[in-house]
Amino acid sequence: MNDGGDSSVLKIALIGNPNSGKSTVFNQLTGLRQRTGNFPGVTVEVKEGTLRFPNGHEATLYDFPGTYSLYPTSSDEKVVAAVLTNTADSNFPDVLVYVADVTKLEKHLLLFTQLLDLNIPLLLALNLSDSAAELGIKVNASKLSESFGVPVISISGRTGHNAMRLVMELEKMVNTQQSKAKSQQPTVNSPSFYRLTDLEKQVSEAIRQNLGIQNPYRALLLAHHAPWLQFLNPNEKETVSAIVSTKNFQSLRAQVDETLERYDRFIPISQAAIVSPPAFPNTPTDRLDAVLTHRVGGPLIFFTVMMLIFQAIFDWSVYPMDWIENGFALVSDFLTAQMPAAWYTELLTDGILAGLGGILVFVPQIAILFLLISILEEVGYMSRVVFMFDKTMQRFGMNGRSMVSLISGTACAVPAIMSSRTIGNWQERLITVMVTPFISCSARIPVYLVLIGLAVPAIKLGGFLSLQSLVFGAMYVLGVLAAFVSGWAMKRWLRRREHSFLAIELPVYRMPQWKNVLLNVWEKVKAFIVGAGKVILVVSIALWGLSRFGPGDSIEQAESAAQTEALLTNLDSVDAQGFVQQRRLEASWAGQAGKLMEPAIRPLGYDWKIGIALLTSFAAREVFTGTLAVLYNMGSAEADINDRSENAAKATLRERMKNEKFMDTGKPVYTLATALSLLVFYALSMQCFSTLAVVRRETGSWKWAALQFGFMSVAAYLGAWAVYVLFS
Amino acid sequence: MQRRYRNISDLKTNESARAIAFDDSELACKLTSMGLLPGTRIEMIRKSPFGNAYYVKADGVRLALRQEEAASIFLEM
Repeated sequence: MNDGGDSSVLKIALIGNPNSGKSTVFNQLTGLRQRTGNFPGVTVEVKEGTLRFPNGHEATLYDFPGTYSLYPTSSDEKVVAAVLTNTADSNFPDVLVYVADVTKLEKHLLLFTQLLDLNIPLLLALNLSDSAAELGIKVNASKLSESFGVPVISISGRTGHNAMRLVMELEKMVNTQQSKAKSQQPTVNSPSFYRLTDLEKQVSEAIRQNLGIQNPYRALLLAHHAPWLQFLNPNEKETVSAIVSTKNFQSLRAQVDETLERYDRFIPISQAAIVSPPAFPNTPTDRLDAVLTHRVGGPLIFFTVMMLIFQAIFDWSVYPMDWIENGFALVSDFLTAQMPAAWYTELLTDGILAGLGGILVFVPQIAILFLLISILEEVGYMSRVVFMFDKTMQRFGMNGRSMVSLISGTACAVPAIMSSRTIGNWQERLITVMVTPFISCSARIPVYLVLIGLAVPAIKLGGFLSLQSLVFGAMYVLGVLAAFVSGWAMKRWLRRREHSFLAIELPVYRMPQWKNVLLNVWEKVKAFIVGAGKVILVVSIALWGLSRFGPGDSIEQAESAAQTEALLTNLDSVDAQGFVQQRRLEASWAGQAGKLMEPAIRPLGYDWKIGIALLTSFAAREVFTGTLAVLYNMGSAEADINDRSENAAKATLRERMKNEKFMDTGKPVYTLATALSLLVFYALSMQCFSTLAVVRRETGSWKWAALQFGFMSVAAYLGAWAVYVLFS
Repeated sequence: MQRRYRNISDLKTNESARAIAFDDSELACKLTSMGLLPGTRIEMIRKSPFGNAYYVKADGVRLALRQEEAASIFLEM
């Protein structure tokens, strides 16, 4: 029932430490009514949802990234400080809910006391009341409420305990807030929790006067953060930095002193309100970690888990992928039969539908992979992976946190690159973003399968180890190696000295919250469909145009010539249709371009037809097989090529590919060398426009995206060339 | 001169000692905000598989720290 513009909608922000269960509370309160908020100037996504009050009113609920303090160290954490220091921000919250893990309250109130001093209506939600009860921890909420002067409620995001009470309390706070706004009472700064030092007072006072800021602590935060805050104009930044330097204000020193002072003040308060039994020395988490983070067993278990996950992706995704492909083929056939044979029918079936199909066919694999990764994240295993592999990743210019991006990259680079935001160090994050696309994503799988089927004999080594799956696995290894080598090279080249942090909390193992898991999967799939899908669709339509139309009347000429030839050579109708299609494609813009680029790709062993396939697969790699199907006169059998089973269509394509000969020399095109060269090319090349778009967004400039495209293409070209020379 | 403090790397498995100070402000800021304060009892749990990182408990909170991060924390003798 929010009428009027955005400004009239009440905004409530959930804030808390990492692992405080904040997102569980968010999901509990908003359910499916959530989306990505629009926070100008920050690349980090802040989720927003709609909260409905019992009286029918609504408010917008923000789920900010977890942070320990208003002195952030990663771009993820910076959002909270950036929004809360800018009262003019259109997303500035009217009410804050601080979510604290009640089982670790003594460590989790630092940020809470910082929020207290910002003088925004604040509620303290003591989360994990169910775990607290299990551990025998007793909290006196009213005592805490009295000491801090804010409402305090025990809740459980997992069981939903007291969720309604939280909503009602928020409603009350919102109403008071509104009546205050109506009566236009000037907001009086309540006495702050932290007592500013004399120097801090001077700095804060000077900033308040010069920038017209009311709250002393907010002014102090500007003294700390002005250089990177985007809402300040250059004049304001200048003013603040002048004040900081004339007063000789040492930001880092002050941050530490303030933090320690706050602990000194709130620890007695929390201790007085909490009774906890002595901690058990050997909890289930300790016993699990003794195995899962063991020096030898830990990595072994990790690799076993990864193998099982990939196995699951392949086994489980076959059926839904078949349904999607068959579904699209059915619709396409139906439209072709029902609609007039004209260019717009082709646009619909070969351009739009093919593009949509090409996007949706990857959804099962991506969903399954993110389902399994989300479960690992939810139970707390991912932070152990970060811990175990931090050293390894550092050697290659990255951070233990990069493991999450690289693993996600096996599904789709788009959401994988977005998950690099938790890495605080800019260089480590940049390297992660730059090398993630080397990891073989699900779009490369169909290309690999066709080429391996073509080139690698189906024999079993030692009677059980299939040579084909061995080569398939080798493509993944190649991608990982390429990622690590380029990471190492970039580290050498960038050499930026900046503090890099591991310092990560290893949370208690918990059963996964299915709601969180499923919402996370949905979010990642949406990122793929919206982020990558849009681009794939547009490029797919453009490529359809390029292969449907040609210069002048070349297409018409090629078509009539081909029809005559087909009649003369007595081809049956299916073959004749395919033959005509092939000739049309050769005469099209794409065909011309393929011929034009043949000299450039000849050293790799490719002819102009492969050139066309390379061009058309720029939108999405799997288009490669479809294009080849047309080029090798497959008629409409292309829909089945991606199928992993040994079906006729694939066999036919392979047969045709095997018979293909170079026009000038008459030698066969598809030797083992060519196929291996193509495999390497696809493993290393940056054949994905959507990834480039995401890289541009995440790094803030086309420079890095262009560089990435450049070095991946060079790597692909050189790698493919080397393999071709080696095997021919 | 004899050292008057120890480092986390000196701790044996399951051995613990109190933190007394930090020698790097930026790390101190990060670590204190995570609840690792002067006076916090730090217990060594294990080293990471490839070395260079430590799994510790700081007053019961499980943390993973890099060698450099751990080295910036001075422990009592």
